[in-house]
Amino acid sequence: MLLSAVLSAVLLAGLWWITDQTIRDSFGASAREGVDVDLTGLVDIYASGGQAELEQRIADRLAMVPIDAGRAHYLLADRSGNPIAGDLARWPDLDPQISESGMIAIGSRTHAYARATLISEDLALLVAHEPPDRAFLLTRVGLVFLLGGAVFVGCIALFAQVANVRVRAKVARVGEAFRRSDEPALDRLAAPERPDEIDQIASQASQAVKRARQLMLAYRETSEQIAHEIRTPLMHLDSRIQKAIAQDPALAARANLVEARGDIKRLVAMLEALLDIASSKAQTGDTRGMKPVDFSASVRQICELYQDSADEAGYRFEWDVAGGVIVPGDEAQLGRIVTNLLDNAFKYNRPGGAIRVTLEPGPRLVVTDEGPGIAQAEREKVFERFYRGRDTDPDIQGSGMGLALARAIAERHQLSLRVAPTHPGATFILAPAADMRDA
Amino acid sequence: MKILYVEDDPRAAREMEDIVRREGDTIAVETNGADGLKRAGLESFDVIVMDRMLGDADGLDIVRRLRGSAISTPILMLSALGRTSERAEGLEAGADDYLAKPFEAIELVARVRALHRRASGREHSAVILFGAFECHVKARTAFRDNRHIPLSPREFELFRYFMENAGEVVTREMLLRDVWNMSFDPQTNVVDVNIGRLRRKLEEGFDSPALETVWGTGYRLLQGRGQ
Repeated sequence: MLLSAVLSAVLLAGLWWITDQTIRDSFGASAREGVDVDLTGLVDIYASGGQAELEQRIADRLAMVPIDAGRAHYLLADRSGNPIAGDLARWPDLDPQISESGMIAIGSRTHAYARATLISEDLALLVAHEPPDRAFLLTRVGLVFLLGGAVFVGCIALFAQVANVRVRAKVARVGEAFRRSDEPALDRLAAPERPDEIDQIASQASQAVKRARQLMLAYRETSEQIAHEIRTPLMHLDSRIQKAIAQDPALAARANLVEARGDIKRLVAMLEALLDIASSKAQTGDTRGMKPVDFSASVRQICELYQDSADEAGYRFEWDVAGGVIVPGDEAQLGRIVTNLLDNAFKYNRPGGAIRVTLEPGPRLVVTDEGPGIAQAEREKVFERFYRGRDTDPDIQGSGMGLALARAIAERHQLSLRVAPTHPGATFILAPAADMRDA
Repeated sequence: MKILYVEDDPRAAREMEDIVRREGDTIAVETNGADGLKRAGLESFDVIVMDRMLGDADGLDIVRRLRGSAISTPILMLSALGRTSERAEGLEAGADDYLAKPFEAIELVARVRALHRRASGREHSAVILFGAFECHVKARTAFRDNRHIPLSPREFELFRYFMENAGEVVTREMLLRDVWNMSFDPQTNVVDVNIGRLRRKLEEGFDSPALETVWGTGYRLLQGRGQ
């Protein structure tokens, strides 16, 4: 806006300067013309009426003060420059022999355009015209330019400001539509009512986003279908094994078959976790269907459930759960975050070590164990699907899904789940995503 | 027990008929939503098993309409959609339980029986008796052969659930969902450990077992009397 105002002001100043010069030039030209006409007239008078007539006419002209033209000055002198008639006391520096013309000084402040000529062998005549009073006109032109220019520059600045505000509002609208990124918002962007350049870019971008979403949707549907289709025959296989065991309880292979059922259950659990991760990711930021959940009660109940397992494993299990921590969300899913973090702590804790759970308002859930901890380089990787980097002990088996699922659910609830930089011992922190960014 | 099964897949319907008849119960099958709705209005059933995705209707709508017309028969909804949000939708519509397909026959039977028992009000009694066991619901105390068995609050909840489903198989999924409010089986052995504790308390000082493990499926409370 400032730039456009400055540019238009510079442009106006240039225009004013050109106008001013043109006016000055045209005044100069008319003064020169006036002097020549006046001089020719007086030469004619001398030729027809002689020196006395000429002196008389010069006196007449000097007596007359023009209203709208510049004053005229005359000097009739002999060859050596001594004045005979006229109002100038001294012959200026102009050669009458060659009818020289030029600017001469009249008094101390005034200048006039003059021409001198010889009208006989002994007489020289000089006519000088002061330029008409152009200061008023120039001042007026200057004023017009100044006032008009101010209005013009003001208008330009105003238009620039309005355009600026409109563009900003439009960009904000487009930004908001992409941020929400739901179907109606993208549709509105794709088909604007009176499209300008920004609308065209936004329209193309929204179509690209929609295409990407459709691809994602198709991809998700396919993977859900695959997971589902694999799950079904696995369950049938499991029923067959179950029937075989039921029909012949003394079956020699019974132990193997029971183990096989355990494997099938793990596979099914993994597929379910994959489906849950996919659906949680798809619902990220979507708050529909969420209800206020008493997270304090959920965490307490889960901790109570795990107490016996901790006793049996020989772990010290301590929990400090603040009351009344309410989180908007899906109760079963939020509980899943807690159990998956506890499962992880139970899996990696050192024999006799402590496992601690703290819940504070915020919500801020911290689960720590006294296991080997997680190396710096692995702190993000542990949340990847199928990641089993820490499972160096063949006795510790996991699906590699638990933490990935916990994080997907956290993100669905606008929460963030991360590993704190502690070593040894692992510390998982669940807190609002916004707080984590500040930390 | 008389069951109404609304299912548009004939193979699934036949399998279900086999399972239910084997258990000695009666089953009526309807293959679409409209007929299912009509039948439920005409006859009285102990439990209705409703498939969610029917050819002519969404099982959810049928459940809503049944509840709207004041039919309070317990409903078990079956669906290939097993996500927690869909489960919640089914329960909100008025179903009493939700089982994801594919399921194990024993799981289905156990759930249908549990629904039936719940509806017939057995769990509302102040005292539940089964074999040598007594469960005093209000006083929250347990007895075996008139001997008091001290249980923690969590152990009592578990014991009460077994008493409410006395003599029947209780699956891990049922325990997780009904006793501990969880929709999945955690990796940590919480079910086995909690059952183990209860079993030790119920069997300490007695000769005969109290809880039987049904391999790979669940548990059953026994009479608790010396054979």
